[in-house]
Amino acid sequence: MMSTAIFVAFGILLILVLLMIARRKEVEEREGDRAAAPAQCERRNTLQGQELVLRIFSREDREFVLQMRSPRLQRMYKEERRKVALHWVRKTSREVRMIIRTHRLISRLSRNLDAGAEAKLLWQYLELRLICGLLVLFIETFGPHALHDLATYAGELSQLIGRTLPDSAAANRVASSENPGTP
Amino acid sequence: MNDPGKLVTPNNAYDDLQHRTLSGIPCDLARLIYLASTRDYNSGLYHHEGLFARYGPESTRVALRAAHKDIFYRLVALPLEELVNELGIYVRISREAPTGFIHTWQELEPYRVAVPMEVDSTMVQLFQSNIRLALEVLRFRQEHSRAYPSASSLQPLLGR
Repeated sequence: MMSTAIFVAFGILLILVLLMIARRKEVEEREGDRAAAPAQCERRNTLQGQELVLRIFSREDREFVLQMRSPRLQRMYKEERRKVALHWVRKTSREVRMIIRTHRLISRLSRNLDAGAEAKLLWQYLELRLICGLLVLFIETFGPHALHDLATYAGELSQLIGRTLPDSAAANRVASSENPGTP
Repeated sequence: MNDPGKLVTPNNAYDDLQHRTLSGIPCDLARLIYLASTRDYNSGLYHHEGLFARYGPESTRVALRAAHKDIFYRLVALPLEELVNELGIYVRISREAPTGFIHTWQELEPYRVAVPMEVDSTMVQLFQSNIRLALEVLRFRQEHSRAYPSASSLQPLLGR
């Protein structure tokens, strides 16, 4: 019982962290869009990071497939969603790795490094790598839909934390060094 | 070509594209396929004679690319059930036999080349995955309607 509670709590935590990363990316993309706006008229109806996550883990889609009462379709659905969910986790992990690599290169040239902030960043990075690894394990073992309720709950918590945080500019600065060429 | 007295912007071209061309196409999936067909396979550049004549090459390309991405994002955001309906409409307007259409799409996966460039790879994965599922749903419904002809007919299933 206790181990289940710990497992569920850990699941909530890891989704929360991933949603926060997705949210930071949104801010970065919005800032990039604003900068590029005069040059082009491209509309940005793109799914926000959190919406994309919820789309992948959509309960509505699962219920629709269940209504079909086709075991073959249900198997296919589970497999398709598992692949997309794993792709998302691995991509998130890869992107954060790139952010950290860029940050490390910039840090080498910096004269006034804040050791405390660097240590905190390293800790967060290691934590995230661990979480991504566990998330992969979670999806592989239980399938993507075991995460749906946790993801919804984590999304609400993430928004709450986002509203509570006074300023996430430092995090955005790190994130903006991810892909200098990306719009 | 361009009227010198008229301000030509990508937004004009975009609106023109929406109102004159895309509004006449019955569903977003068909719009996506249409827009992808205006893109050169080798260069990735978009071409449209009518828009080109009115707005010039750059505005035309920006407008087509923006419209392509917009429609793609709309389709990715659709719940699976609605995407199945979209695909059903597309099958109907293609005037192909549904069985042959579904088989061809499952074999050749032409929807893969309908994806715009420079979009999030997870969205691409989700879109392609959803199309595969939608095709399977249509196939299942079709088989079901063949097995139980009195319970359902093909037309409502394919084009709600």
